[in-house]
Amino acid sequence: MTRALPGTAPKAGGAPGRRTVERVPRRRSRGVTAHSLAGMLFVLPFFLVVVAFLVVPLGFALYLSFFTKSLVLGSRFSGLDGYLRAFTDPLLLDGFLRVLLFGVVQIPVMLGIALAGALALDAITTRFAMLYRLFAFMPYAVPAVIGALMWGFLYSRTFGPFSGVTSLFGGDPVDFFSGPLLLVSLGNVVTWAWTGYNTIVMHSALQGVPREMYEAAVIDGASPVQIALRVKVPAIRQAISLAAIFTVIGTMQFFTEPQIMARFAPQISAGYTPNLYAYNQAFAYSNFNYSATISFTLGFVVFVVAYAFVFVSRRRGARS
Amino acid sequence: MLTAGCLLAVAACSGGDGASEGTGTDGKPAHVSVWAWYPEFKGVVDAFNASHTDVQIDWTNVGTGPDQYAKLKTAFTAGTGAPDVAMVEFQEIPTFVILEALVDMGQYGANDDKDLYAEWAWSQATDGEKVYAIPVDGGPMALMYRKDLFDRFQIPVPRTWAEYADAAVRIKAADPGAYIASFGSDGGWINGLMWQAGCRPYGYSRAAAKEKVKINLTSPECKKVFDLHGGLVEKGLMAKDPFFTADATAALDSGKYWTWAAAGWTPGYVAGSLKNTAGKWAVAPMPQWTAGADDQGDWGGSTFTVTKQAKNPKAATEVARELFGSSKAAWDVGLNKAFLYPLVKNVAADPAFTGKAYDFFAGQKVNEIFVPVSEKLGEFQYTPFQDFVFGDLNDRSAEAMAGSRSWGSVLEETQKNVVAYAQQQGFTVTQ
Repeated sequence: MTRALPGTAPKAGGAPGRRTVERVPRRRSRGVTAHSLAGMLFVLPFFLVVVAFLVVPLGFALYLSFFTKSLVLGSRFSGLDGYLRAFTDPLLLDGFLRVLLFGVVQIPVMLGIALAGALALDAITTRFAMLYRLFAFMPYAVPAVIGALMWGFLYSRTFGPFSGVTSLFGGDPVDFFSGPLLLVSLGNVVTWAWTGYNTIVMHSALQGVPREMYEAAVIDGASPVQIALRVKVPAIRQAISLAAIFTVIGTMQFFTEPQIMARFAPQISAGYTPNLYAYNQAFAYSNFNYSATISFTLGFVVFVVAYAFVFVSRRRGARS
Repeated sequence: MLTAGCLLAVAACSGGDGASEGTGTDGKPAHVSVWAWYPEFKGVVDAFNASHTDVQIDWTNVGTGPDQYAKLKTAFTAGTGAPDVAMVEFQEIPTFVILEALVDMGQYGANDDKDLYAEWAWSQATDGEKVYAIPVDGGPMALMYRKDLFDRFQIPVPRTWAEYADAAVRIKAADPGAYIASFGSDGGWINGLMWQAGCRPYGYSRAAAKEKVKINLTSPECKKVFDLHGGLVEKGLMAKDPFFTADATAALDSGKYWTWAAAGWTPGYVAGSLKNTAGKWAVAPMPQWTAGADDQGDWGGSTFTVTKQAKNPKAATEVARELFGSSKAAWDVGLNKAFLYPLVKNVAADPAFTGKAYDFFAGQKVNEIFVPVSEKLGEFQYTPFQDFVFGDLNDRSAEAMAGSRSWGSVLEETQKNVVAYAQQQGFTVTQ
């Protein structure tokens, strides 16, 4: 290696390290309190925001989830009863199953396309590369609500460009919001919105891979495809699993697209996804307590699924 | 001096005696915040503010229907953030009553308005002597149909639902791409059809018994509505587009739908969006379940309520009662720009309203049909969790439309779910 990576610089070489060791006692002698006070002041704004907008609301929601409020009987402490109800609520379980089915198909498809896109972008060396990257990223810049409304029109049986395809062969226009096609239609919207984002994440990781590795592979006689699959993909394994974890979490919290599209698609029921169910419990049925319970149940499931994913991918990584 | 006195005794000033509550303590007008989503509402607010010196309205449109209710329910749960006066649809009133969110305006003299309004509306807005809402507009139902197409294919305009089903077959024969109408996945719409069929599935009175609710969705009167419409959908004679989507509006305007069981406010709503077919529509009375009968239903309608968070409930009641009420200026905007159907009896009976010819209906005086419908509407009650009921009914109907449930089981399943929900909320359910 002729070029040191930025991340490894401080560890390499003995001299800089020794200098730091010398510097620390000198600062300490000026006074520990002044030092830590300055540090605390720097952290304070972030700390306040975290407490005000994360810790307190989470704590309050957790508190709410231990109470049951009914229209007639009012509010009463019910401990874990709400969770018992959530884990046996058929509507919530249906939602979980639906989201799981959705993720099992949509996540690999999207990440596959994103990886292919990233490798293609990496291979492009012309000045159009910038333009391609911009195009890939653009759907992500469109707000999810606008994207869902836009796709609502694209899927329309009257105005949509796709509905006409079957009409050409004399069939009825495709109903994208009916039966099993509904989940596919939603998956397509999500894939459209997020593929570019993941492409950019993976492409950025690829840019950090030292070019010398490719040169070495070329000298060893590897074809471009072999370089992509055997050198580039393993080199950005971490970025791929990071993208996968974020996607898994995002999928479990699936909300915006079904919420917006429910107005075109009556089959998107109140409990279509767990997050939509939590929203409806709170804001349509005034069951804020049960909504909090569902949210924490969802959070727990997300945690378990995400942790399981990390565990599996780490073990796989260790094996290879 | 007055201000200093107020600072010393805040409670005395904010409580106040009856006479001074309308105005602010320092002679400035009391400001009342209003949430509403009526079209052209600014003109109504301006008319109120121009004609009142003691009370002024600060109006905000925070969203239509469910969007506004979500904000209201959050504000009521939080204990702060709700407006003084909120627009609320009829089917939501018991829900907000049981949430202890509404002020009984009866204590500020609102019972005096009883004879101003259509009986059915007043009975839905009140609970005995307690006045929870002041009616504004309603949606008496009638059948909009494409007169030109019915005439051209010599299909008689259906007077009964049996004739309606026959017409559906003949329309399909005349144009294979056409449907008699769409099953719109709209809780209020199907509720209006059930109402017209004599189905009275709900009963609730907060004043009589807080914990008792009647739910009976499986009576023959309710079932026949789903049997008929579900049967038409199954045979491909009725379309499945949800109402108020671009698809449904385009279908109305392209000859894909030939009829729409619509409400009194529909002429105003559709006139602007159906440009191609304007002048080709007409209105007929609703088809009847028994030949020669005169049974009617209502789809939609709204009221003004005063919330428990109102700082000055007396001034807020004044706003709720007089925003429309018998204000000529307000109804001028309401009828001619917003196309509301007035629940104020005098306004509805006024020849200026009943005699109004609509270009959209080729000069037909459609209010001659809608006004008697509103007068014929009887008692109809809602549950204090109507969002859940409409939501479940829509979800089960959607399953039937998708073919994953039989139409015959829609009401049974909804009944089961709603009863379970009611019991879980602590209600005693009667049939």
